Amino acid sequence: MSHVSPTITGRASQVVLNLYLVIFFLYMFLPLILMVLAGFNDFSPPSVTVWKGFTFRWFGELAADTRMWTGLINSILIATLVIVIALPLGLAGAFLVTRLQSRFNGLLYGVMVSPLLTPGIILGISTLVFWRDLSVPGGLFTAAMAQATYIASYAMLMFMARLQRQDMTLEEAALDLGATPARAFRRITIPFLKPAILTASVIAFLQSFENYNTTIFSIGGEHTLVTEIGSRMRFGLSPAVNVIGMIFVVLTFFFAALYVLFREREKRRAAAALG
Amino acid sequence: MTSLLRTFGPSLTAVILLLTGLWIVGMIVAPQLIMVDKSFWYLDRGGDAGALSVRIDSLYNDVDLLGWDKTDTEALEPSAERDLKLVEIEQQITEKKAEITELETREIKPKKVYSLANYTLMGAAHFAIFAKTIFAALAVTVIAFIVCYPIAYSVAKLAPPGKAAIIMLGLIVPYAINELLRIFAWLMILNYNGVINVMLGFFGMEPVPFLESGSGVFIAMVYAYVLFMVFPIYNTVETLDTAQIEAARDLGAPMWKIHLRVILPHAKPGIAVGAIMTFMLSAGSYAVPYIMTRGIAAPWFTQLIYNKFFESNNWNAGAAYAFTLLITCTLFIFLLMRIFKIGIKDIAR
Repeated sequence: MSHVSPTITGRASQVVLNLYLVIFFLYMFLPLILMVLAGFNDFSPPSVTVWKGFTFRWFGELAADTRMWTGLINSILIATLVIVIALPLGLAGAFLVTRLQSRFNGLLYGVMVSPLLTPGIILGISTLVFWRDLSVPGGLFTAAMAQATYIASYAMLMFMARLQRQDMTLEEAALDLGATPARAFRRITIPFLKPAILTASVIAFLQSFENYNTTIFSIGGEHTLVTEIGSRMRFGLSPAVNVIGMIFVVLTFFFAALYVLFREREKRRAAAALG
Repeated sequence: MTSLLRTFGPSLTAVILLLTGLWIVGMIVAPQLIMVDKSFWYLDRGGDAGALSVRIDSLYNDVDLLGWDKTDTEALEPSAERDLKLVEIEQQITEKKAEITELETREIKPKKVYSLANYTLMGAAHFAIFAKTIFAALAVTVIAFIVCYPIAYSVAKLAPPGKAAIIMLGLIVPYAINELLRIFAWLMILNYNGVINVMLGFFGMEPVPFLESGSGVFIAMVYAYVLFMVFPIYNTVETLDTAQIEAARDLGAPMWKIHLRVILPHAKPGIAVGAIMTFMLSAGSYAVPYIMTRGIAAPWFTQLIYNKFFESNNWNAGAAYAFTLLITCTLFIFLLMRIFKIGIKDIAR
């Protein structure tokens, strides 16, 4: 058993801890519940303290909002571009760090993970400044480049985790048996990395889609769904934003439940394998 | 290098080196260097731009007048005197034109002057905002640790598997929901006629101006970034062998001592990662102050950076402000690495 037996913590402290968990989750979820509720309130600006009756009209208002739709399309475009740019970079970085035996490894690794430790707005600004010097103005492309800078680091860490579990003898055997390096790469390394490539694509898409701080500084006059939501929250508040919130909450809940179920199954399978 | 060549062959190795090179140089190092370089110079337009443009206009006038003189002279009878005068006019025109080109390049391409002017521009007011932002980020970090440690510990070590999975789901959902939407929920709670103020009114108390005073920014910031502390601590506590905790207990150590001497030391890398993420996200957050101040309360440092770039259009000053923030976050990382005695490999895993 991986968890500590109940006798180790007294009954009293167990009660206190449970109470603490309940309060914490109320704190985490009450604001979200209020936001969802206000999306059904026939009153604008969004509120739960002034209740004017139940309505679906904000759903219709949202569906007719063309700026939101172009934002959604832009978000998907940028996210796709980010996957195309960040995954090969992350993969190359992971190969270099895991296979290169050099005293510069630490430095190399440090530089490649540094975008994860840099504030998002700095990545946005430096990308914007860099591309303007090459006479490329801020837009969807610069936003994708700024996001790819740090999403490539995420991808690299995921690929490294997988590569560290790779059975190197398989690759060695293929090479010894006369396969060209390109063939061994295509037939052994890539199939082995496939699950990691899939997860990295999903993570990269979500990271890009949800990003605000980096995007707002690098996108110029264009907008994504999330930057548009941001400006709606500051100017001209409408419960249509709450409806978007509702959609995000439902989707997130669905995917998080899937993830947790998957994780539990993996854990149980690992435990069963151990006997 | 040889191991790389052996497994991948020359062409694949070349691709790998090229891609990492593009990423490191073209996306990480060069943009940062250019930003830092920009923060150390400004464009000097020779003091008085107005006088310069007046001088250029009068030179253009002179050239026009000389042109008339030239056509007049050309209409004269051919003579040695006429030729001499023509040459003289031509020469004057070339001189004036040369001066125009020189002045115009100075007008279009002002002189680059390297100095610390962009940093000294900050002044006391902006420095106070910087200090407020950093202080708030530190406070968020400390609060996040206090709130999250018991939760991370109980998910990792106390809860039975089924319950742990549900708690995990309860942590992942708010963590994964877009930052803006989570902040937005607090706008409705802290508003002048929001949930809290209506409740206060119910008890006969005066409404509290959360948004106007700027405290709303801090409250939303804690809510938005608190969960970034949970997962790193959970990941490290989970790897601790439970037998160690039980051994400490069997040897008679009280619970607080077990935490202090066994669990916390083991969780050090996780705590450091959580602290770095929380601090970096809070100090560098543009979303929270942008939404919560709504132009009513005083701005935060990230908003000053945004304004320098996109409102006063002074990119050099903006770069200086951005670099100040970057340096602060970097110093914080090195400070934590020193205090917790961990390396970069422990941080990003």
